Amino acid sequence: MSATAKTDASLNVDHLVQEDKVHKSIYTDPAIFDLEMERIWGQSWIYVGHESQVKEPGQYYATTIGSQPVLLTRHKDGNFHVLFNRCAHKGAQLVGDSSGKVKDLRCGYHAWRFDMDGKCIAIPLAQGYDDTGFSKDDECANIQKLPRYDSYRGFVFASLSAEGPDLVTWLDGVASSIDNMVDRAPEGELEITGGVLRYEHDSNWKFFLENLNDMMHPMIVHQSSSLTARKVAKREFGEGEKTPSAIEIIGPFSEGYDFCNVVGLHAFPHGHGYSGGKTSIHANYSDIEEYNEAMHAAYGKERTDEIFTVNRHNTVCYPSMTLKGAIQTMRVVKPISVNKTVIESWTFRLKGAPDELLKRSILYCNLINSSANLVGPDDQEVYGRQQSGLQAQGNDWMPLSRDLGRDEDMGDGYLYAQGSSDLAFRNQLAAWKNYMGEED
Amino acid sequence: MAESQQLVLQHNIEQFIYAEVRMLDEHRWHDWQSLFTEEGLYWAPASQDQPDPYEHVSLIFEDQLLRKVRCERFNHPNAISLQPFPRTSHLVSNVMIDDLDGGNQINVNARFQMHEFRRDQPAVFAGSYDYELVKNNDSYLIQQKKATLVNCEGDLVSSNVYF
Repeated sequence: MSATAKTDASLNVDHLVQEDKVHKSIYTDPAIFDLEMERIWGQSWIYVGHESQVKEPGQYYATTIGSQPVLLTRHKDGNFHVLFNRCAHKGAQLVGDSSGKVKDLRCGYHAWRFDMDGKCIAIPLAQGYDDTGFSKDDECANIQKLPRYDSYRGFVFASLSAEGPDLVTWLDGVASSIDNMVDRAPEGELEITGGVLRYEHDSNWKFFLENLNDMMHPMIVHQSSSLTARKVAKREFGEGEKTPSAIEIIGPFSEGYDFCNVVGLHAFPHGHGYSGGKTSIHANYSDIEEYNEAMHAAYGKERTDEIFTVNRHNTVCYPSMTLKGAIQTMRVVKPISVNKTVIESWTFRLKGAPDELLKRSILYCNLINSSANLVGPDDQEVYGRQQSGLQAQGNDWMPLSRDLGRDEDMGDGYLYAQGSSDLAFRNQLAAWKNYMGEED
Repeated sequence: MAESQQLVLQHNIEQFIYAEVRMLDEHRWHDWQSLFTEEGLYWAPASQDQPDPYEHVSLIFEDQLLRKVRCERFNHPNAISLQPFPRTSHLVSNVMIDDLDGGNQINVNARFQMHEFRRDQPAVFAGSYDYELVKNNDSYLIQQKKATLVNCEGDLVSSNVYF
């Protein structure tokens, strides 16, 4: 096969990921992207939204799962639902805005009306269907629900497949990152707030996920922003003087290889994982006294310390959602095509915490995740260079062999390695291979 | 205010804004930074009706310190997304003085287009500018410049320079 030839999607793609190397076509071949939509995004649990986006009956949030338009809704009985965003009649999408509150879902084409659980409640001139073999009470007259949906502590996931592990089983290893973020709220609850940043990347979705726990890149890619921030801070502030939060946030991005190894990588089944644990680049933010007091009042000092001891960098819930618990931000992956991905950045309010916490999360997103900031464009630049660079012939394979065979087996599919290891890539790609493998 | 004074004021404000965006296009970052008051803010919201930059994300929200960091990074040899450095052309029009509070502050609204070209990628950003200017001798200083993109809630590509 020539280096630019398309892989036939009907062929087995298993051989494209090997223990120590990955074939470039999985990032560049449109046919493989289509197969991923079917076998990964069509099988796995995919993050949909947060329950706090649909607090009240009648509220909806419109989003996508892979190529599928879906709605997260809140029904009058208090339950939430994940529905295909498609009228049961002629297929028109049911809402125009990305979020809102309605009495019921009324299609803008022929005014068919549906309850928030998808049940068809009215069709104009419904008697026209009398004795025709079609009725609004038929299951096919309803907006169709996704085969499976569930919530873990407010985070709603759905699956386009009726088969597979339940959500809690699937989240094994990284549920604790969600737990820690929720536990950081004195009232034990999160609320999504503060808008969203949508950042268009001209690159394959997997580059973003692989980069999150690529601990060998920050000191190179983010040198210009981090070292400049440190230099300016040194000039503007005296020795030992407290620097603003912005400097605390950008400064650590160029920590060296020693720090990266201490941070460490944790890998779990289904491609999940996180870096950090006991420490991360978020570990040395200034204390917010009022927040500590609220936490002590809610949990007691011992439990509060326990919660704060968990300091993870990026948690990846493969393939659709990533979290930073210590700074209460989340990124959601939206694959558009083989070389186009939109990354959404969201922030959370910790209920019962002072406003300073939310303001710090907002500041973090502005500085690191916005399309116009000092850090994100350097990441996006390298993904874009990968996407165009891999068009080059010469060698179809990329190595994955750093620290291969040196993982520490923690049991039950949990692996640990130092931060410079390729473990996170190998683990995500092993899950890729598992999802993409031909069904028996 | 007499009509002739209004015309002079309108002219002066327009010239100030033209000079400001020209500094961006000509990469005169030091001169550009000196147009702001010490507490001056640059803000590109991420939502049309965003009430504040503190409890809602923004594309850019920078005080003097962060402007220094951004502008000094422009000269860093390893700023990979700035290789090559983007070229821009800011066009400003529809300049209207919204409010003369009779005191020191003048509020101005204008429309802008920023054409950007980097490597082989052209991009266009468009929207409105809201300036809060304060008189400074014969000229003005910027208390706040807010650049609201028409598509600030949409999917946005990377941009490194100020709108």
